[in-house]
Amino acid sequence: MEHLLEQIAHCIEFGKVNQASPYPPEMKGQPGADEWTLTALQQGFSPEDILQHGFIRGMDRVGEKFAAHQIFVPQMLLSAKAMTTAMRHLQPFFQSGEAKKRGTFVIGTVAGDLHEIGKNLAGMMIAGNGWDVIDLGKDVKTERFAETVRQHPGCAVGLSALLTTTMENMADTVNALKREFPMLKILIGGAPVNAAFCTEIGADFYAANPQTAVQYLKEISVGWSK
Amino acid sequence: MELREFRYQAGDLPLPLEVLEARMGYPAGQCPDYLRLLIREALQWAEEHSEIQGGLVVLEPVSLRKETHTLMLGGVELEIHKILFGQLRKSDAMALFLCTAGPAVGAQAEELMRRGDFLEGYILDLIGSEIVEVAMDQIQDTLERELALTGLHITNRFSPGYCGWRVAEQQKLFSFFPKGFCGVTLTEHSLMQPIKSVSGIIGIGRNVRRKAYACQACEMAHCIYRGRVVTE
Repeated sequence: MEHLLEQIAHCIEFGKVNQASPYPPEMKGQPGADEWTLTALQQGFSPEDILQHGFIRGMDRVGEKFAAHQIFVPQMLLSAKAMTTAMRHLQPFFQSGEAKKRGTFVIGTVAGDLHEIGKNLAGMMIAGNGWDVIDLGKDVKTERFAETVRQHPGCAVGLSALLTTTMENMADTVNALKREFPMLKILIGGAPVNAAFCTEIGADFYAANPQTAVQYLKEISVGWSK
Repeated sequence: MELREFRYQAGDLPLPLEVLEARMGYPAGQCPDYLRLLIREALQWAEEHSEIQGGLVVLEPVSLRKETHTLMLGGVELEIHKILFGQLRKSDAMALFLCTAGPAVGAQAEELMRRGDFLEGYILDLIGSEIVEVAMDQIQDTLERELALTGLHITNRFSPGYCGWRVAEQQKLFSFFPKGFCGVTLTEHSLMQPIKSVSGIIGIGRNVRRKAYACQACEMAHCIYRGRVVTE
């Protein structure tokens, strides 16, 4: 039984999407996260067990290897694709309320900035760790963030920037969101920002990489239970 | 004020696989073979679809105001940040530049990511960025070689959006180029379209130098230009 969930975790860890996927070459022709997830559901595993002991376990390993410079962005993206492909099988259970996620995470690149690869990567890692991720895209104005937070009480927010000069927009967005939602947890990330800037603008956490964002979100979602 | 134009074929630019692998984080020789293959395929696609062009305008005299960290060029006041002011203050003239890889590579990278091919999209996006930077290296090298004949030197190049120079200043910078030059336009937030484009400024003078990136002057620990080696 456990073997099946480990297979899912293994496929996610190594970026094996499905049987047709040629990557990684040493797993060519073998089932991927897609097929193993379907099999697990057919054998009666709960969506939450698959998420927790398959997806999250796999993505945790990916995050740890990335943080330790054992793998790099391309391999992380393959893992993210394996996870998002397999996640499609679980979506109906989350949508019906039969299974619960850790919470909702709203993410976007701040106004005036069109860069989103880092943001996408963080979003995928966070989704793989059991969060319902609402990706607002790039060049997102403060009001759009605020409107989304109103629609999803209890969510957390992630803001990304690449340009030094859009850091000001990030500060404005944090300021406006904190004014309206004092309890809202806001994470920031991106090339020009750091922990000192995070403190300066009143955000809650600076994520140097996707894995630290995942860790922080785990800490603030201790109330979450499967 | 003379506008010089440049055109390149991506296949003629130095774009070794090892450099692209390093940009993705891989130490030498550690990129998996299947990724190398994907990078090679994406590079070939990018070489076939890029439309690389750029331009350069040299302006003098230069008037710099330390109190406001501003730079007066051809009747236009550029509000450069103190970091940039420090790098350019010894300049006697300035070269403004614009360079693009064209629309195809950035658009295709975005499309690949939109349909879930994250890895392929990421690789193409990175190649697009590298193409435009390497093309701009060529333009900058040409300028440096020519000026060296007259005893002049150049600084590194600096772009709005980095080193504290506001992106909105790009509107002023673009006023020195014909409208739609190289097919590059600005969005309402002053960002360039096509996205694989660069613009900015280079200082010129007898007492300036181009050096290994001046990162010690900047706090941006994860900047994409941090540690980028100058191709001298």
